[in-house]
Amino acid sequence: MDSRQNHAPLIQCVNITKRFGTFAALTNVSLSVFKGEVVCIVGPSGSGKSTLLRAVNGLQTIDQGTVTFDGITIPGPSRNVRLIRLEAGMVFQSFNLFPHMTIRKNVTLAPMRARGLSQAEANERAERLLKRVGIGDQIDKYPDQLSGGQQQRVAIARALAMEPKAMLFDEPTSALDPEMVKEVLEVIRELARTGMTMMVVTHEMGFARELSSRMVFMTDGAIVVDAPPREFFGPSTDARLRTFLSKVL
Amino acid sequence: MMQFEFSAITRSLPELWIGVQYTLALVFISLAGGIVLGLLACMGRLLGRGLLAWTCVTYIVTFRAIPEMVLMFWIYYCAPLLGGVRPSSIIAALAAMSLTAGALLAEVFRGGIGGVPRGQAEAARSLGLSEFWVWRSVILPQAFRIMIPALLGVTALMVKASGIASTVGVTELVYQASVTAGQSYRYLELFTAVGLFYFGILFPMSMVAKFYERKLALRAR
Repeated sequence: MDSRQNHAPLIQCVNITKRFGTFAALTNVSLSVFKGEVVCIVGPSGSGKSTLLRAVNGLQTIDQGTVTFDGITIPGPSRNVRLIRLEAGMVFQSFNLFPHMTIRKNVTLAPMRARGLSQAEANERAERLLKRVGIGDQIDKYPDQLSGGQQQRVAIARALAMEPKAMLFDEPTSALDPEMVKEVLEVIRELARTGMTMMVVTHEMGFARELSSRMVFMTDGAIVVDAPPREFFGPSTDARLRTFLSKVL
Repeated sequence: MMQFEFSAITRSLPELWIGVQYTLALVFISLAGGIVLGLLACMGRLLGRGLLAWTCVTYIVTFRAIPEMVLMFWIYYCAPLLGGVRPSSIIAALAAMSLTAGALLAEVFRGGIGGVPRGQAEAARSLGLSEFWVWRSVILPQAFRIMIPALLGVTALMVKASGIASTVGVTELVYQASVTAGQSYRYLELFTAVGLFYFGILFPMSMVAKFYERKLALRAR
């Protein structure tokens, strides 16, 4: 926690507002994530969690406010969005592996085309990462030959292959069959142990409680509670959070 | 009683061969022109704004709605009134077929690109890939797979539309067959041969397309 005093946050969202038509998806949301922190974002559906996460790497344009990622700010010069994406890995609810490419190609594509790694370097990296997430022996298969849990682990390896400074997880286990949730959470847990900075939108309360350095509760496009898990799950929190927790726990 | 006289076909082979060459030229050139026009119109519609997008949509809607025959006649007979130059019959036919193919292909391309799930482009962009590689490696290869049946449809349509070019006097297969049949009164034989020729190109083509479609479907679900 020393880093909180001494350094600028790695990810800093300042007064973000986003409207879809008349619906306010985010209203004046500010959030800082420091290096090495795991911030889990929870809240009812439609509360703006995913919108906030997607604003961080510019997949979601915002109406007001700024996002600064490792000193790069959006909105800003047009290349900034890509500069942030190069350093922020993202994992989606529906995996979004490229179905027409082998697992190997899925993982080597961006390192080769966006980082300029050679085929051999990218291959070596892909093999190492896929082994790490337990997919080492499936490297030349196509995504649809893998289970959902395996696909999501490949998606994590694909993001890690860019050697990102932070990882953004958008409900990484919500589309999985219950028996596959564990294997994906295990990979994320292992990643947290290595000190990776992470923002995780999730419904897995037990997992969030165990892993997070901070818990953020959102509702109606605003951050209502931002606290360490001990306090977050403690007795004296916000009434809306208590209602939400009573429903999900 | 009329008999099927096979020699009527063999006797006319030199004339028919000229027709085949013109037919193939019409199809290939108009498809090439159509691909260029179609890509431009599709991109203009997807990426453009204001007047550009409006122009592309108007082009697509208009030329999809006009029959090739009407268009061919119109270009052949009315272009002189507008521009002062009478186009040769082959130019009029190519222009009409290219314009039609372009309008049809623009929608085929748009459908193919629109058929690629949104998450694919998002995943590619989130990896920091430039727009060039997002399109080149992720969107277009998947869009192409989706387009195969529709591309075959447009090609088949163009092969058949080439026959209409006979009406403005292009010496393609239908024209050559009518002329030689008109001399020998062997319509049955010659038009049987013409029918077999069209079938002979289109049927294998649809088989090849089916094969690729099935092969690729295994990979992209």
